[in-house]
Amino acid sequence: MTDVANKRQGWIGWAFFSDLGDALVLTFSYMLSRPVTEQYPDKEKWLPYSRYRGHHFLKRNEEGEINCVACELCAKICPCDCITVVPYEDENGARHPKVFDIDTARCLFCGLCEDACPADAIALGQQYEFSSYNSANLVVDRDTLLTMPGKAETGGGVVNARLETVDGVRVETAQDAGYNWWRNIRRK
Amino acid sequence: MELAFAIGLIALKVAVLIAALLLLPLPLVWLERKIAGHIQQRMGPMRVGWHGLLQPLADGIKLLTKEDHIPADADRLIFKLAPILAMLPPFVVFVAIPFGESISVLGHEITLYVSDMNVALLFVFAVLGIEVYGVIFGGWASNSKYSVLGGLRTCAQMISYEIPMGFAVIGVVMLAQSMSLLDIVRAQADMWNVVYQPVGFFVFFVAGLAEAQRIPFDLAEAEGDLGAGFHTEYSGIRFIFFMVSEYVVMVLVSVLTVILFFGGWNGVLIPLPPILWFFLKVAFFIYVFMWFRFTFPRYRYDQLMEIGWKVLLPLSLANIMITGVVFL
Repeated sequence: MTDVANKRQGWIGWAFFSDLGDALVLTFSYMLSRPVTEQYPDKEKWLPYSRYRGHHFLKRNEEGEINCVACELCAKICPCDCITVVPYEDENGARHPKVFDIDTARCLFCGLCEDACPADAIALGQQYEFSSYNSANLVVDRDTLLTMPGKAETGGGVVNARLETVDGVRVETAQDAGYNWWRNIRRK
Repeated sequence: MELAFAIGLIALKVAVLIAALLLLPLPLVWLERKIAGHIQQRMGPMRVGWHGLLQPLADGIKLLTKEDHIPADADRLIFKLAPILAMLPPFVVFVAIPFGESISVLGHEITLYVSDMNVALLFVFAVLGIEVYGVIFGGWASNSKYSVLGGLRTCAQMISYEIPMGFAVIGVVMLAQSMSLLDIVRAQADMWNVVYQPVGFFVFFVAGLAEAQRIPFDLAEAEGDLGAGFHTEYSGIRFIFFMVSEYVVMVLVSVLTVILFFGGWNGVLIPLPPILWFFLKVAFFIYVFMWFRFTFPRYRYDQLMEIGWKVLLPLSLANIMITGVVFL
């Protein structure tokens, strides 16, 4: 009985509730279309794009030495002051971090540390599953940061995954590229 | 011996009927949540059992373990009586509902109805009217403003919709020349009533939506503006009673629509067993109820009254008159 329906179908549309019929047709077509639910963590998982800013990681050079020169620029530029760097000098006189702690509970994942780094040592990867019951566990040290996965070339898709709860909770996946989630979204 | 067998048979039928009706809300709740999910492009329940099939069971266990709370200022007797009053009449109505002619089991002809009353239609409407008391009592006894408003709305809604509903079936009674539901179905063997009585069907179905208190006429519950309406204060097992009542009434209105307007167990084209035809038609109308629920918004109180008195009542009266004139 809206004005739209009146204009289009006139009084006959009004008398036979054409607008209500349109609504029913619309909801029925929606019912037959694919759900947009991403079944995380049971069956599916989202692989972020490589531009995504997730968990930090520290890089090594070809010799396996840590890239970081402990200049502390990242700690300086960090807007939430969550990076702690304590430097030391090795036997060759090169500066490296003795301590490199990131409090991910405070981090806002702005990526400024990555931008500020002169030695290409720190970057933000695609890892986003690191929740914890204890905020102390969210302070990540140097050695953990060195083992965190780096940036992947692929990303931006939903992949099949499996929830693993036997030893620690993990969502495991064997695929590295999935389908584009947006393909199920109806846009008229 | 003959008498004992007859009584035993009736007792068995009633037991099967009660069990079926009590268990029916379980699959219906699942179906409703699934339909809701898919209409909104969600999955609905997925995690309890295969595709969430055991979800209603989990909900039931959850409700049963909840505290059975009665508000301090509530009228305790009526508060306890209301859920029973709401649940009993829909069950009683099914005594008069036929599901088919008869089947033969072990050489005995067993009729697929508990009783064939000659005034079955009157009985159905009379008993179904009592169900309203449950809602009104529940709303009043809770001593809560939301509940009272819900009860009040139900009261007005029922008065304005039972009248067109009753008038709408008069056309059917005129065509079948009988008030027995069996005779009404038999009279539709050649052609369904909906062909002769499209207006009657329309009025009956809309009034049935209101009777079952489903969207777009679920003003009594109106979770958006009244909390949960008349059952705001109910919890645990008493809330289950209201839910069971709601679903049984929904099934009942579907069954009545099929019997009165869609030829009951008379099939068309495809030769299926009559009982299967019947249940397929009922299932279709149950689906339509749920489809409506997740498509339409709720009518406002005054719009509801206006539709009842200014549209449905004149339509049903005109329907009776035209049917009568054509018949003469």
